[in-house]
Amino acid sequence: MSAVNNWNSTQHFWLIIFGFVVAFIPRFVPLMLFTKQAIPEWFNEWMKFVPTSLFTALVVKDIFIDSSSYALILNNYALMISAVMVIFVAYRTRSMVVSVIVGLAGVFLLSMFL
Amino acid sequence: MNKRRPNPKQVPDPTEPMWRSTLRVAMPLNLSYIPIGLACGILLHAAGFNTFLTGLVSLLVFSGGGQFLIATMLTINSPLLSIVLMLFFLELRYALLSSSLSPYLKGQSNRFLFIFAVSLNDENYAINYLKFATDKKWTVREALAVEHYSLLFWATSNVIGSLIGSALKIDLTVVHFALTALFLYMIVMQLKSHLTLLICFISAILAAAFMMITKSTLGLVIATVVSSLIGFALEEFIQRKMPDSHWLRRIHSPGSKKSAVEHSDAN
Repeated sequence: MSAVNNWNSTQHFWLIIFGFVVAFIPRFVPLMLFTKQAIPEWFNEWMKFVPTSLFTALVVKDIFIDSSSYALILNNYALMISAVMVIFVAYRTRSMVVSVIVGLAGVFLLSMFL
Repeated sequence: MNKRRPNPKQVPDPTEPMWRSTLRVAMPLNLSYIPIGLACGILLHAAGFNTFLTGLVSLLVFSGGGQFLIATMLTINSPLLSIVLMLFFLELRYALLSSSLSPYLKGQSNRFLFIFAVSLNDENYAINYLKFATDKKWTVREALAVEHYSLLFWATSNVIGSLIGSALKIDLTVVHFALTALFLYMIVMQLKSHLTLLICFISAILAAAFMMITKSTLGLVIATVVSSLIGFALEEFIQRKMPDSHWLRRIHSPGSKKSAVEHSDAN
């Protein structure tokens, strides 16, 4: 985070407005359409698999993909071990807060040693 | 009236007002938003956002991933169009989330749907979806209240993060992992059958492959659509050809008799 951005507040403001539009449309349009007319059965069956697929993809991006070059990185050991810890804790405790805190503590401690 | 849990271990107060019962449901999420929101506010401050705009972006975009993306792309001086496009692909997943909530929001006015859509988010979706699926008495008003609580905590944490942004030094790797841990938690909560576990692996491999090919987070969208379709097709196939296959068997989970949300607010 060393680079300093040279945008002014007006440009930031327009970024937020455009950001709102692209964040809002995907949330609103399906809600409006599918509460008025029936969703086909196959669509519902398909949707069941969407959250797991999406969250897994996001985790893979965070742990195994470099955010600027999009190359595969397989040596983020601190993140990988912490991820396993989070999965274990989430499975045992079913608690969101405990899982997140264990994950943060794990990364913090492991990145000091690895 | 608000006695939603016939759980002998807890004695719900039937006179408990809605703002308190929904706050109790939303509280684990609210608390986990504080560190992430603080981190996001610090990142946005580092990217040049002033405190007012940090509050505004938290209210209008309300997406941890989206706001982290904005902060990251601003610091590498990406052009406006490319930030907005990336954001669009990242937020496209909400189309899938809001479709899956729509059966529970039938008959609501467009105005209500508008307000509901504005404050919809991955995490409050997870809570509301679980509640709607497991609690027949869960109402749309209560769902909206959960959304608004999480929005309030998120925006406040962001503003505070922005205010202390210059004073505090935090390891950004650690900060960013809060979001990853949240996603991991939600995956574990969603694992219902061995088939879902298989789809996780497929999605993981596809996500890595498509992101390397597209060199953008567009790969996330493709991987999500493809692997969920594979899951859908596999389930159809297995149910038709071998209805008692072990792939459809439920995964044992500790405390799975209660829903995850109900369990977590006992903490």
